[in-house]
Order: sequence, then structure tokens, then C-alpha cells
Amino acid sequence: MTWTVIIALTIGVATQRLVGMFLAGPLLARRPVLARLADLLPAAVVAGVIVQLTVAEAGRLVLDARAAGLAVAGLLVWRRAPLGVVVVAAAVVTAVIRAL
Amino acid sequence: MPTTPEPAQSDPQLSEPSRADYLTLAFAYFAVGVTVSVALLDAGTSITRTLVSALVIYAATPQLAFLAVQAAGGSTVVGVLSGWLVASRFGILASSLGARYPDGRLERTAAAINSFDPNVALAMQHERPADVRRIFWLVTAALMVGWWIGTGVGIVLGNVLGDSEALGLDAVFPAILLAIIGSSLRRRDGLTAAVAGACICIVLIPVTPGGVPILASALGAVLALAFGASAATGESKEATS
Repeated sequence: MTWTVIIALTIGVATQRLVGMFLAGPLLARRPVLARLADLLPAAVVAGVIVQLTVAEAGRLVLDARAAGLAVAGLLVWRRAPLGVVVVAAAVVTAVIRAL
Repeated sequence: MPTTPEPAQSDPQLSEPSRADYLTLAFAYFAVGVTVSVALLDAGTSITRTLVSALVIYAATPQLAFLAVQAAGGSTVVGVLSGWLVASRFGILASSLGARYPDGRLERTAAAINSFDPNVALAMQHERPADVRRIFWLVTAALMVGWWIGTGVGIVLGNVLGDSEALGLDAVFPAILLAIIGSSLRRRDGLTAAVAGACICIVLIPVTPGGVPILASALGAVLALAFGASAATGESKEATS
């Protein structure tokens, strides 16, 4: 990663964050229905990130040990297990299935 | 089916994280910090540049996206564009936060730059701007402690750590994200938004460039809003009749 790349990525990432905070955010706050949208956006986007990290590999859909780990995490979240338990269980299940 | 006794009022899990929760959040970002610094060093980046890029780019996925394009033999321009594209989710998260974060240009700038998935999702579980701000910075502090220790450990130890995938460490981040949106998943509109976002992402992963599926998953929130509005109208009609 060259300095040029670092600078370019820095500008691109920071600009999007600032545009979100100072331009899009206040627009969402202006109307109650859009404020509801601001409420729901994290869940939708985070769900996308979870999917990407769990069933995707280099632009393909794959079902492997990660999916099993996430399934266990989902069960524990549903049962209201503590955060630490959810995380450790997901890692252990994923590691064990890989080792099989 | 046996169910755990639930408190009478809805209990937004993690709305007030415990000390152990903050520790777990720090651990998750520790894992991310290790992953990114090891990946950068493996790709031939110097230690100085690895540290500086963690400090100034201030997001893991754009760096990993760039490296992925580079590893696949893509051009620098495509790599940078790919990095910008995957960073779009931080813009969306910052706009969500910006809708409720207290006034003050300098502080809002700092909050924007610090917008990550866990801190925005946990902060936005609160209605009062003062609570949004408090939870946002507490979670941010936990994430940063973990991230910087992880970055340092990755640089110092590198591949001494061995294969982080054999330890299941790549399952840590998705698992913690799932727990973080857990309270949203217990509400009908939150569940709709998450399921719709996940489905959109799954459908697009095989057919669009990296970054697009997650960007498009934001539409899940729009669908939930549209669907929820019509459902709420139906419910209120039932209630009044």
C-alpha cells in the first residue's frame, strides 16, 4: 500500500463519513418518517455486513464453518446470552468444525 | 418450549452495556486490528505505513478491499475505488448517527470520523441525544483500545500468532454484530429491516462488485419503513374499530 493509496483512501472514507453526519443526517432528522429510517439503517446495513462476513468469499456465496458459528451466535442472542458468551461460542464452534 | 422469564417491559439488550460487554467489544476490535495489520504486512506494506494507514484511513474494510483487488492483480485505481465503495456503509452509519447526535460542529466531526458499526448501532438504540452521545463514546473507547492493541500485536507478532482462522477469530466480528442488532431484531420493523438487508446482500454478492451488496442492504431499512407504515395503519384501524 503506497502513500498515494493511503491518502486517497483516507480522503474517500472521511468524506463519506462527514457527508453522512453533516448533510444526510440533518435531512433525516427533518421529518419523523425519515428519523424512523435513521433508526432502521444500522440494523439493515449491519445485517448486510454480517452476511458478507459469513457466507461470502471473493464474490461467491459459500456455506462453511463460519455459518455454523453464526447460527450458534444467533441462537444465543435469541436466548439473551451475555455478549462474551455469544462471541466465544461462535469462535469455538467455527474453529472446531474447521478442525474436523 | 421453555422460555426464560422476561422483564415486563421490553429489554433492549446491550442498551446499557456492562463492563464485560465493553471488554468483549474491545476483544472483537482487537481481532480486527490483528487481522488488518498482519494482512498489510503480508502484502509488503512497511510498519510505518501500516500504522499510519490504521490511524488516518481509520477503517478496516477499505484497507482489506484494496488489498483484495491488489492480490487479484487489479489496478491501483480499481483498488482505491473498491475501498471507497466498501466505505459507503460508514457514510450511511454516520448519517444515521447525525440524525440524532447533539449539536456542536467539532464534536460532530469527531463522531463522524469515529463512526463504526458497533458504536453507531448501540448508540442509536437510545432516543435522547445525550444518551446517544454517551453510549457512542463509551463504545468507541472500548473499540479503540482493542483496535490499537490488536494493531500493535499484529505488527510485533505477525504470523507468530499462527492461523487466526484456525482459532475461529474470523467468526468473532459477525457474532458480535449479530448480538449488537439483537434488540432491533426483537422489534418487527427492525427484524424486517435486517432480514431484507441480509437478503438483498445475499442476492447481490455473486453478481455485483465488492461493496455494492452492503451499500444496497441499506434499502432493507426503506422496505421496513414502507412495510411497517402500512402494517401500522392496519393495526391502528383494528384498534379503533
